[in-house]
Amino acid sequence: MRAEDVRPSRRQFVTSALGAAGVLVAGGAGGVAIGRAADGGSSSQVGGTIPFYGPYQAGIATPAQDRLAFAAFDLTSSNRHEVALLLGKWAAAAARMTQGDLIGAVTDAPQAPPIDTGEALGLGPAQLTITVGFGPSVFDSRYGLAGKRPAALADIPPLPGDALRAGISNGDIGVQACSNDPQVAFHAIRNFARLARGTAVMRWSQLGFGRTSSTSTSQETPRNLMGFKDGTNNIKAEATADFDKFVWVGSETDQPWMRGGSYVVTRRIRMLIESWDTDFLADQENVFGRLKNSGAPLGGKTEFEPVDLVARHPDGTPVIPADAHIRLASPHAHGGKKILRRGYSFTDGIDPDTGLLDAGLFFIAYQKDPREQFVPIQRLLGGSDSLNEYIRHTSSALFAVPRGLSGPGDWWGKELFG
Amino acid sequence: MYSRPLPHARTLRTAGTGAVVAVAVAACGGASSGGGTAGASGSSRHAVVTISEADGCQVSATSFRAGALTFDITNKDANAVTEVELEANGRIVGEKENLPAGFTGSFSVNVDGGSYELVCPGAKPDSVAITVTGKAASSAGTVADLLRQGAKEYAGYVNDQATELVEAAETLRDAIKSGNLTDAQTAYDKARPFYEKIEPVAESFTAGKVNLDADIDAREGDVPAAQWQGFHRIEKGLFADQSVEGLSTYAAGLVANTKTLRKLTVGLTFQPYEIANGAQELLDEVAASKITGEEERYSHIDLVDIENNDEGAEQAFAALRPGLTKIDSQLTATIAARFAALDALIETYRTGDNPSGFVYYGDLTKADKRKLAAAVKAVQEPLSKVASKVAQG
Repeated sequence: MRAEDVRPSRRQFVTSALGAAGVLVAGGAGGVAIGRAADGGSSSQVGGTIPFYGPYQAGIATPAQDRLAFAAFDLTSSNRHEVALLLGKWAAAAARMTQGDLIGAVTDAPQAPPIDTGEALGLGPAQLTITVGFGPSVFDSRYGLAGKRPAALADIPPLPGDALRAGISNGDIGVQACSNDPQVAFHAIRNFARLARGTAVMRWSQLGFGRTSSTSTSQETPRNLMGFKDGTNNIKAEATADFDKFVWVGSETDQPWMRGGSYVVTRRIRMLIESWDTDFLADQENVFGRLKNSGAPLGGKTEFEPVDLVARHPDGTPVIPADAHIRLASPHAHGGKKILRRGYSFTDGIDPDTGLLDAGLFFIAYQKDPREQFVPIQRLLGGSDSLNEYIRHTSSALFAVPRGLSGPGDWWGKELFG
Repeated sequence: MYSRPLPHARTLRTAGTGAVVAVAVAACGGASSGGGTAGASGSSRHAVVTISEADGCQVSATSFRAGALTFDITNKDANAVTEVELEANGRIVGEKENLPAGFTGSFSVNVDGGSYELVCPGAKPDSVAITVTGKAASSAGTVADLLRQGAKEYAGYVNDQATELVEAAETLRDAIKSGNLTDAQTAYDKARPFYEKIEPVAESFTAGKVNLDADIDAREGDVPAAQWQGFHRIEKGLFADQSVEGLSTYAAGLVANTKTLRKLTVGLTFQPYEIANGAQELLDEVAASKITGEEERYSHIDLVDIENNDEGAEQAFAALRPGLTKIDSQLTATIAARFAALDALIETYRTGDNPSGFVYYGDLTKADKRKLAAAVKAVQEPLSKVASKVAQG
């Protein structure tokens, strides 16, 4: 699983383009090497490594990989040192896995279980990133951390259209593993769960089989399961000013330990796929506000042209309907506010009660302050978006994602549990 | 599981420093006072161990006088390393786990004269030769002695359970013969624990056509219908069919098979690593088939099985504990604490509402099952490390 074994044809090289903001600056490794093995925009073969150490955690500004394994853990130990040890073990394991190494030492003790579970052996890291955040519940009375809870980590209030299931919502610690190889992403989560035994249990997990966001200008906008390009105007890694403005926590925070971090909101959004599939094309396009094939905004010709929200038909009706997703999700509707979307399509088989597909979008969004960004945006969308007829938010979670780790020996939450 | 051959236990590491592993005298266990005087070489009773990515496993001194010795360890930045061990002839005589990069810890051992290796698995280089001269004051017993003693005690425990199992099977047989369904059901509930405490031992007596575990404990579908006998065949009659009809033959067969088991356990000896694996196997039973309700599918007394699997595993651990605690007191304490937590959780399901003494499987909620499974896994993870620690090099 050594990274050196991977020899992608490095058709694209993103190096210090992100360096100005310190995004993904390699700790001595000299930048981010992203290779595409295949032409034609398919990134399913992309190998290589993403630096683990740096001022910001990888997996946020990193161009979205193809596969996701996400898990939320609940801490079962009330002992701070045990939690610290777990976070230390996770950090060391993550540092190794993301660079293509097995966790721990390869043991030669035949009577001991192998330290690494082994299913990623020989696969290469495929740009694995592991991103960790702390949920609001960590700051309850158990660890004496109430005073360290950032104001921005306010519980997400009930929002219109919520159909949340408690068992797959929230959690003490959230772990996002992204890779271009699904088994590599799963391996990371599985080994985290194993290292956690006795200290934390997995509360819920979600696999995502295809990215729905492009977070770099080098990436094509993928389609969601409704067949639309959603997220054309997402924040892109190249727009470092947008990251400083909307994603990274800066000196404005009330909690210094959150500087250089971000807040992630996850929402499992089930799509009522069978209903959608019987909707006629023009209506589907009106729901999103984009043309299905080209991805161009209604009234436009190409995907990336500016969205004209004021254009009207001769009869006076808006070209992009008042309740179209693209209009309500647009920064114009939110005082210019943006979020970094990094979601994935998922399916969990069928709904056992109805026999309908249980599939949709596992929405992931990073931001500087959910109170100012996700919450008002979703309040508007959940209330008015014509897409609501076809979707249900079935889970919700929020995590404070701290700064990146400085190097070996550093670990997530050192300022909290150290 | 007991039939599993011991693979070559922990091969000797060849030290990067070129150390020769000499005929080390078995280390005395324990961190008890060893005199406390500084060694002839000028080294103290403390050694500072530093582990780093750049320099691997480094120790402040490499020769000591026999007696109590403490290693204070810092893992500066070696992401591959999580523990440090002191080995003699490939056998661990003391260790500290839970040392990821950025953490510190220490362990103490009472060492006799001889050659040792301090090993930081995963570091480069990963070991340093340690020389100890002189002779330690005699202590209560060496790790090897303690483990041997524990193994002997565990063998006695297995014999006792096998004997009780035979008696309980006879009671069950008699109740069935007398035709009293309620008595027979109660006798079934009372007989199960003795088997569940030592099940891995029975599993080890599998050779060719003989499969004592299947003969005693196969569930419906595990074996061809014509061969199905034992506890669960009787369980089906008593609890599903609600009748003792036709069960006498099975009851007599059960008595005969438990007697065979008892005979086989007499004089049986165990290696410490086998006992550790046996404990693990018992907890696997809980995690794999009891927590799902598959085992007692007609009587629904799965919690009785869970309690007794747990009890059997804990007895096995108790047998190893005196020796293990000298090797790694913290690991031992962690396992003990997690067993205690599991015991306490199981206790919450105790009830006087039915003759089995525990709530029936059907009364467990999903959250109950998740909690039980997590508590079992919490024991299993540290317990899985024990076999290699107690394996003789």
